Amino acid sequence: MTILNPMSFKASKTHKVGKARRVLLWVLIAPVSVLLSGCSKVSGLGYEEGLSSVNDITLPLWQGAWIAAGVVGVFTLILILWPAVFHRAKESKGEFPKQTQYNVPVEILYTLIPFLIVAVLFFYTVQKETKIVETTTAPAHEIGVEGFQWSWQFTYPEAGPKAVITGTPANRPTLVIPVGEKVRYTITANDVVHTFFIPAFMIQKMNLPGYTNKIEFTANKVGEYPGRCNMHCGRNHSQMLFNVKVVTSAEYKQYIEDLKASTA
Amino acid sequence: MTTYAERPTITMPGVAPASKGKNFVKWITSTDHKTIGYLYLMTSFAWFMVGGLLALVLRVELSRPGLQFVSTEQYNQVFTMHGTIMLLMFATPLFVGFANVIMPLQIGAADVAFPRLNMLSYWLYFFGSLMAVAGFLSPGGAASFGWTAYAPLANSTYSPGIGGDLWVIGLAISGLGTILGGVNFITTIFTMRAPGMTMFRMSIFSWNVLLTSILVLLAFPPLAAALLGLESDRLYGSHLFDPANGGAMLWQHLFWFFGHPEVYILALPFFGIATEILPVFSRKPIFGYKGLIAATIAISALSVAVWAHHMFVSGQVLLPFFSFMTFLIGVPTGVKFFNWIGTMWRGHVTFETPMLWVMGFLVTFLFGGLTGIILASPPLDFAVSATYFVVAHFHYVLFGTVVFAMFAGFYFWWPKFTGKMLNERLGKIHFWTLFFGFHLTFLVQHWLGIKGFPRRYADYLATDGFTYMNMVSTVGSFLLALSMIPFFVNIWITRKAPMVESDDPWGYGSSLEWATSCPPPRHNFLSMPRIRSERPAFDLHHPHIKTEGH
Repeated sequence: MTILNPMSFKASKTHKVGKARRVLLWVLIAPVSVLLSGCSKVSGLGYEEGLSSVNDITLPLWQGAWIAAGVVGVFTLILILWPAVFHRAKESKGEFPKQTQYNVPVEILYTLIPFLIVAVLFFYTVQKETKIVETTTAPAHEIGVEGFQWSWQFTYPEAGPKAVITGTPANRPTLVIPVGEKVRYTITANDVVHTFFIPAFMIQKMNLPGYTNKIEFTANKVGEYPGRCNMHCGRNHSQMLFNVKVVTSAEYKQYIEDLKASTA
Repeated sequence: MTTYAERPTITMPGVAPASKGKNFVKWITSTDHKTIGYLYLMTSFAWFMVGGLLALVLRVELSRPGLQFVSTEQYNQVFTMHGTIMLLMFATPLFVGFANVIMPLQIGAADVAFPRLNMLSYWLYFFGSLMAVAGFLSPGGAASFGWTAYAPLANSTYSPGIGGDLWVIGLAISGLGTILGGVNFITTIFTMRAPGMTMFRMSIFSWNVLLTSILVLLAFPPLAAALLGLESDRLYGSHLFDPANGGAMLWQHLFWFFGHPEVYILALPFFGIATEILPVFSRKPIFGYKGLIAATIAISALSVAVWAHHMFVSGQVLLPFFSFMTFLIGVPTGVKFFNWIGTMWRGHVTFETPMLWVMGFLVTFLFGGLTGIILASPPLDFAVSATYFVVAHFHYVLFGTVVFAMFAGFYFWWPKFTGKMLNERLGKIHFWTLFFGFHLTFLVQHWLGIKGFPRRYADYLATDGFTYMNMVSTVGSFLLALSMIPFFVNIWITRKAPMVESDDPWGYGSSLEWATSCPPPRHNFLSMPRIRSERPAFDLHHPHIKTEGH
């Protein structure tokens, strides 16, 4: 009995406590029912669905984590505010409450439950992160992404060794990528640390001088998206912006051909 | 049956009131842990004001797109010094201040173990922090590479100028003061507890001072090493953090090996303050005292194994390990929440100002903790790392803990410090202004981050859609700043309030500092009560009340 109900430190039959138990029971049941109705649509919580392969992997975790956080948060908030409202000192109650100091079953319970919650989150985390950082042997396209103070240089090896797009802080470069095809990005820097960040695609990776980072993902919707440097890199850090332009396969082929022609 | 002697009334033999100059010399040469503690508290609070003004500069600059009144270079200096001041000149020495004043009283000691070393630590902190900020007066301005000083941005090629050198050496000097403070507290707790004060009768604040000091000894020496290495690169052209030798990652590892325990160095003492206050205003003992200590030990141990979660997007760390350790830290933190709730549960709760601040801490820190669990998951971190989502997260965690618990501690111990109570009504106005100001400033920043606004940007485009939320945040920050006015008014109007008559003006104090006068005499206790539980003062004042549930 005590173990099932974490709130009853010692059995008591006052009306208020009975009510408290009903509310808390409801709070415990609500999350379970939300989880059971897993098919119910949850909004992207700030992110658009289907923009990139990373969104496809990460969004369900983002939503699930927020549901879990919301349930735990509301539950704990109720527990914090409950005694603040209902267990206040009153003349009628006498000066001192019962001096309870330990309740071992309750203590074990509130140690185990958080452990279970983080175990579940960790399980899904590992599944997802493995998929995101995974690299294949032969991706359809490769693009070099070099950050420098304070703009970006995009190289397209498939358009020849001289196919380089270089931006300036005033003239933002555009990263043109094909829709629905996997691209491997080779992420480097030669001066200080930068971070290649496309917020809408839920992905970023550091451009580390002395290291080469690789990530692969697919953009899934034609359109233009802002890209930003996300590591403080000096005076004009906030001007280190770029555009991401997702185009159809045919347009991308044409773009590569044009690049070849103009840099040959 | 309990017997105890009434404390004899002792009147000091006729000492003439000292002149202002003599008082000044007495303060700056004191070896009294309380005086040194007050110096720490006042100095760190002054830095809190400076750091806050710098934050207002940042907020005004960001209120609209375009540059308002600082250049990008000045903006970089301002956020670098805001971070440095708040973490290393305000929050860390604030811990040293509270620990100095309160911990020896709580363990029934006459002073700390090394009183003169204590004063030396203070002066190292005082001059070290002045030195780091003095860069503002140099031709090139203050350090501008962020408080994280990532290599190679912080080297002499990318950040030339004396401001950077002053920052590095100033922090190394100030950090030495912190290390010596840690040594002092550990020795004091291990060797100077009063008879009867066993480890498991020690109050939670003192426990947390002990664990924090151990973390200081683990975290600050690597920082000192990293800083001295950086200065050697800057000054003598060594290649410690040269990217050609992997220096970019070496710095990040060393820095965060300090930086993450540092977060807990800032959090644990303030958790301790909250834990002191909850039982007093619930008229109950702490719920699950030993479990709470175990949770704090677990947090301390885990805190040195999670540093690379700051580097998830570097592509160079083992994601599952650091993710798992970070998730795990949520477990003992959750346990603490239930200890705090259990303490209030079925208590006789009253809401004097200190208790109100603790409630503010619980609510704010709860939300910061939950976003921390989200950031512990690398896929989610990839989406929001280093954006305003993270800025919002760590302000909920750090401001929520340090500032709310600091004011809780000020209102709670003010009679112990000065012998005078602060005004309750002004205290409540202060709390509610700060509470709304804080949440107005920082809640909206979560959405800014999700929309993709990176931290440390001096500017953004009108088309980015960040303008409205930035304006809300800026308005909130001014409300937050205004909340300091009732606090200063409070201190001013109560400066000549009547002295409190009782040792324990709150009536239900647990720990030993409530068993001596307000303020305590030079060596703290004229008589020592029997220490037979973790609530010696409560046992002394309410001998008929028995603890249950063992």
